[in-house]
Amino acid sequence: MDIFSGLLLGFQTASTLTNFAYCFAGVLLGTAVGVLPGLGPIATISMLLPFTFGLPVDTALIMLAGIFYGSQYGGSTTAILMNLPGEASSVVTTLDGHEMAKQGKAGRALAAAAIGSFFAGTIGTLFIVIAAPVLSSMALSFGPTEYFSLIVLGLVTSMVLTSGSLLTGFGMVLLGMLLGMIGTDVNSGAARYTFGSPDLLDGLNFVVIATGIFGLGDVLANLENERSRSATVAKVSSLFPTREDWKRMSAPIARGTGIGVLLGVLPGAGLLLSSFSAYALEKKISKHPEMFGKGAIEGVAAPEAANNAAAQTAFIPMLTLGLPGTATMALMIGALVVQGVQPGPNILSEQPALFWGLVVSMWMGNLMLLILNLPLVGMWAKLISVPYKYLFPLICVFTAIGVYSIRNSAFDVYLMALFGVLGYVFRKAGAEPAPLILALILGPMAEEYLRRSMLISHGNAGVFFSSPVSMGTLLIAAVLLVSILLPGFRKLRQEGLQEVD
Amino acid sequence: MKITQDLVQGALFSIIGLVALVMALQFPLGTPNRMGPGFFPVVISALLLLTGIAILMRGRLGKSEVIAMSRWWPIAIVTVAIIVFGFLLDKLGLPVSVLLLCIGAGTASITFALNWKAVAGAVAFSAACGLLFVTLLGLPIPLVGSWLQVLAVR
Repeated sequence: MDIFSGLLLGFQTASTLTNFAYCFAGVLLGTAVGVLPGLGPIATISMLLPFTFGLPVDTALIMLAGIFYGSQYGGSTTAILMNLPGEASSVVTTLDGHEMAKQGKAGRALAAAAIGSFFAGTIGTLFIVIAAPVLSSMALSFGPTEYFSLIVLGLVTSMVLTSGSLLTGFGMVLLGMLLGMIGTDVNSGAARYTFGSPDLLDGLNFVVIATGIFGLGDVLANLENERSRSATVAKVSSLFPTREDWKRMSAPIARGTGIGVLLGVLPGAGLLLSSFSAYALEKKISKHPEMFGKGAIEGVAAPEAANNAAAQTAFIPMLTLGLPGTATMALMIGALVVQGVQPGPNILSEQPALFWGLVVSMWMGNLMLLILNLPLVGMWAKLISVPYKYLFPLICVFTAIGVYSIRNSAFDVYLMALFGVLGYVFRKAGAEPAPLILALILGPMAEEYLRRSMLISHGNAGVFFSSPVSMGTLLIAAVLLVSILLPGFRKLRQEGLQEVD
Repeated sequence: MKITQDLVQGALFSIIGLVALVMALQFPLGTPNRMGPGFFPVVISALLLLTGIAILMRGRLGKSEVIAMSRWWPIAIVTVAIIVFGFLLDKLGLPVSVLLLCIGAGTASITFALNWKAVAGAVAFSAACGLLFVTLLGLPIPLVGSWLQVLAVR
């Protein structure tokens, strides 16, 4: 199927009244939950997951994508209006975005973010349309060794890019892999780490863990410091960017989009790297670098565009290889598996309507965000100012119902409570949980591919260096690891992440 | 002794790593050619144990941030409220369990006050949840749980 008939099929799938309505509902709900302070995309998606359970696969997937964009966009609104980033990648947005808000230019900052995001989303979608089929057909020739090496690269990048130390990131990856081993081993049928409990034979459900660590863990951390939660929300002024704004932000948006499109595809590299390198680039090439951090519109537009472009192209490894590049994508895979879809290179040929429908609805979701959210920004600002004491019991209820409804199991609710406490402990101990989440889903895949590779090669580990793709991937991973140990890069990474802190 | 971030991380990783390693050693290891169910767990848990020890050693060198605990009871209350919710969900039905969770978790806030407004809000929210999740979305959770049904029959 060529691209045009694919897109046509996609438009047919995405523009049915039902799918359009659910895309809309997803964007709206995603934004509503995403603007709430402290709820990043992962917590938002896992809370809203039960809304998609009763739907047919394509509708559910389209709604999920809408929720995903909505939650991301909602996060930028909170970052600009309250100086509270919902996730690491919107930290850069607070630097100049909140500064603009303090100067009474909140509306223009929000508009810059929305316009930048929409442009980047459009280009990102086009990139998927062109790149995904190519990569899909390439991926069909990948064997277990290539997959294993790609997983290693993904885990290494996620470690290198966490805000804590490399050693901590490594520990979190290992812990995630161990958690992924709980359950029945597919090859031997042995029950591993089940402690004799029949509830653990199927393994830990990914969504349960993510909801516990990110949703509940956040509630617990906020409650501990309830008194210190600041609740000042900046007023939203005129939304229209001035002619001067347009001039200043158009080139940064284009550059940010370019950076995001490229970095988003890398497994594990994710949104954080793209948004902060876009910011760093703008600051470097600007004629007025001293303006950054004091309300420069370039400092909002570029990272927001980069962020959104990367969020878009992060779908590529997930859809074509079945490998999630970010913790959020891992959650999307978890959601797909609940729906009975296994993402991978076959999805394009076996379920073209699903694939193309998703791609087209991505773009529609971005468009809806733009035309829906700017006029509604006053409503979102009101929602942000709901006091936390009313908010957190509702978050508890939604997470608990969501987790229970995955397989009608009270055991999963207990498990989520346990992982909430663990998520709180991670936060206190300065251990970023994103690598753990990624490893939880990639770990079992890594083991499976390692086993198959070793079986094919009769136990010879040299097999990972015999194919060019596998060797190249491992080489990149090694260079990343070595470079982070070099003092120069180390300093750069620390500075970069400090700027983000 | 001051509790530092490195101490917590190191202790968490090494204890879990050690326990997992001891358990993994009971699974058949297999050969590199045909890996048994124990092979991967042994490698990963051993690495986790080593990482934990390395972080503990790094913590001994100093410079790790000290963890300050200000209030632990909200954490206990919310956790227990959610566990109780899971236990009661099919016994009391969705609306009643949601009501209990709302009010139970709410007590964790420093500004909590049990007045008629809060209760009315929680009741309305519970009813809305029942309507939304059970009636509209069709999640297989009872509106009236098994315990309440027994009462009604008598």
